[in-house]
Amino acid sequence: MSFRIRLLLPLLALFVVAVGYPLAFSFYISLTNYKITNRFDVKFSGLDRYADALHDSAYWSALTVTFTFVLIAVFLELALGLCIALALQRQKRVRDFTRSFLLSPMFITPIAVGLMFRFLLNQQLGVIPTLLSRFGISYDFFGPGRAFFSIVLIDVWQWTPFMVLLLLAGLESLPRQPFEAARIDGASTFYTFRRVTLPMLSSVLVVAILIRGLDALKVFEYVYAITRGGPGTETQTIQYYVYNTGITFFRLASASAMAYGLLAVVMFLVILLFRRVERARRS
Amino acid sequence: MNRSFIRQVLVASSVVAALTITAACSGGSTSTKPLSSPSGNGDVAKTVSGDVHVLMEGVPDTDIVKGLLPEFNKVYPNVHVSIESLVYDQIRDKIVASFTAPKATYNLAIIDNPWMGDFAKAGFLKPLDAYVKTTPGYEYQDFAQPLRDIGTVNGKIYGVPFYNYGLGLIYRKDQMPQPPRTLADLAAQAAKLNTPSEAGIAMQPQRGYKAFEEWGNYLFAAGGSIYGSDGKVHLNTPEAKTALNTYTKMYNASAPTNSPNWAFDGALRSVSSGKSAMMVSSNWMLPTLNKKGGPAGALTGKFELAPMPGDKQVLGLWDWAVPANSETSDADWAFISWLTSKAGEKQRVIAGGAPTRNSVLTDTEVAQKGFGAGYYSTVGKILANSSPLCRGANCDEMIQAVGTELNAAIAGKKSVDDALTAAETQANKIQSS
Repeated sequence: MSFRIRLLLPLLALFVVAVGYPLAFSFYISLTNYKITNRFDVKFSGLDRYADALHDSAYWSALTVTFTFVLIAVFLELALGLCIALALQRQKRVRDFTRSFLLSPMFITPIAVGLMFRFLLNQQLGVIPTLLSRFGISYDFFGPGRAFFSIVLIDVWQWTPFMVLLLLAGLESLPRQPFEAARIDGASTFYTFRRVTLPMLSSVLVVAILIRGLDALKVFEYVYAITRGGPGTETQTIQYYVYNTGITFFRLASASAMAYGLLAVVMFLVILLFRRVERARRS
Repeated sequence: MNRSFIRQVLVASSVVAALTITAACSGGSTSTKPLSSPSGNGDVAKTVSGDVHVLMEGVPDTDIVKGLLPEFNKVYPNVHVSIESLVYDQIRDKIVASFTAPKATYNLAIIDNPWMGDFAKAGFLKPLDAYVKTTPGYEYQDFAQPLRDIGTVNGKIYGVPFYNYGLGLIYRKDQMPQPPRTLADLAAQAAKLNTPSEAGIAMQPQRGYKAFEEWGNYLFAAGGSIYGSDGKVHLNTPEAKTALNTYTKMYNASAPTNSPNWAFDGALRSVSSGKSAMMVSSNWMLPTLNKKGGPAGALTGKFELAPMPGDKQVLGLWDWAVPANSETSDADWAFISWLTSKAGEKQRVIAGGAPTRNSVLTDTEVAQKGFGAGYYSTVGKILANSSPLCRGANCDEMIQAVGTELNAAIAGKKSVDDALTAAETQANKIQSS
């Protein structure tokens, strides 16, 4: 065994125990009828659980809700994050305070954020509806057609700072020469942003979108703390649905199959994204 | 494709296959057979010893039990009971993990009523019949009948009542001298009490358990039932439609505006802060609201409890149970039987606990030292005519499915007819699977 392989062994062993075993076990149970309350009558059922998931309208609905959530939330976070990062880059005074203050939401645990907004947006007890009512506005934050967007905005509130952090680091690491050249050539601010800043920042943007996108796919806590997936199934995300199926309803086999279905979709999207980035880099 | 790539794929596949086989061999084969044989003798010797760990919900009854432990240890000095408190949502996951482990983390359990059927069927719990029958002076029949029924699965006793959370109508007696006796009267009273500064009734239409739990009372008040005589769920009935139509109209007319995701805590805060005139809640919320220094502040003493209109209500119950993998069954039973005996129950109820035995409801000392004869009389009426949301298998899933459909109808996303048809179909499918 080569020295390189021997050096890798501790990490590989840890990986097998911490990641490989749970993955393999969940894959195995996804091929059975395993239920927590029926553990002694486990039968191999092939791809039946996968077929069940594919024929389950609630599963597709939850996937749609989740991907819509990811698209809207990450887009808003990226747009807002970029604006704030550009503003912070030019800031001259109280930079440390502003940056640490703006980053504070992402240090709060998401379940606490969910509970906080549940009461902040409570019509009778919350500050926000009370303030709105002074202007004669009554808004049902968690009513039909609105609950989903309220959850999106809560995510934007908490995770835009993460985008700011990444994009600001990216902006501050860009070389100055192209910007000075653009200024000497008389390029407008918007032109410089579009033709110089964005292209040079593209690799950071991709990483930021990827990290936030994958993280947003795991949205669970806000739903759990605030809406429980309602009204109806309007805010039922895939993580909440899989949690309910596997943990609340004990159907671990079905939940594992659903999770592997999600994994396949996510892997496909990530590979697609990386290929595009690679192609863009080469061209 | 080069050789190196093929070799990597083969190695990776072999690793996954090996892991899968290892997982297959180890998963699901953990035994939950008792590790030591319980005596089954309810007359547990006072010298019995053991460390008893129990996970409980952070509610007043848990604090009361903690307060009674020194009394218990006067009788059983060698049994050390340690109580861990958590919020409701975390309890089930942790006790299921303990049930399925080779060695129990919690060797005594409290079980919420929707879990009882599944846990008993899964072999997670020990039958307690032998203990119940052989405990001197235990008088098991003294527990209210609907409570005993919940802990009995296929003729065997798996749970002994700890505290009830049967629902009732909690209202402001200064605003409504007499409680409503019919569903129509309830709707009318709520509309009458509804003002710009105070809602008529704080409702709990949150998707899932809460929507079904609250609406279940409306169903009973409309003369309906959840199960038919054939044992199947019957929700697509005229009574269910009346109940859901009434519930939805009341939500739109008399509940706090913009409260479609409200649950227990939202309603409690609204009523205790004087922003709603009544709510449907656990009967033991009355003493909490009327307690000096409690959440109601200046409104303390102004609340009253009544059975639901129609006199039938949804029943909730926590049972004591002994996990199948507990190694301390006799010590567990020593604690359960001491606490739930007539004398133990009396102490617990006087301290503020929610009653489960008929004898304490009419006990003059309990009435005098507790919350008054009127309260216990009302609780007695509630317990005598109440029914849980679900019986049998897959209750959590069934409740979630029905509660989702009800919530969709209340939010206007589905018609009442469509929601009830879907609820009935799904509930029967889930319970028969």
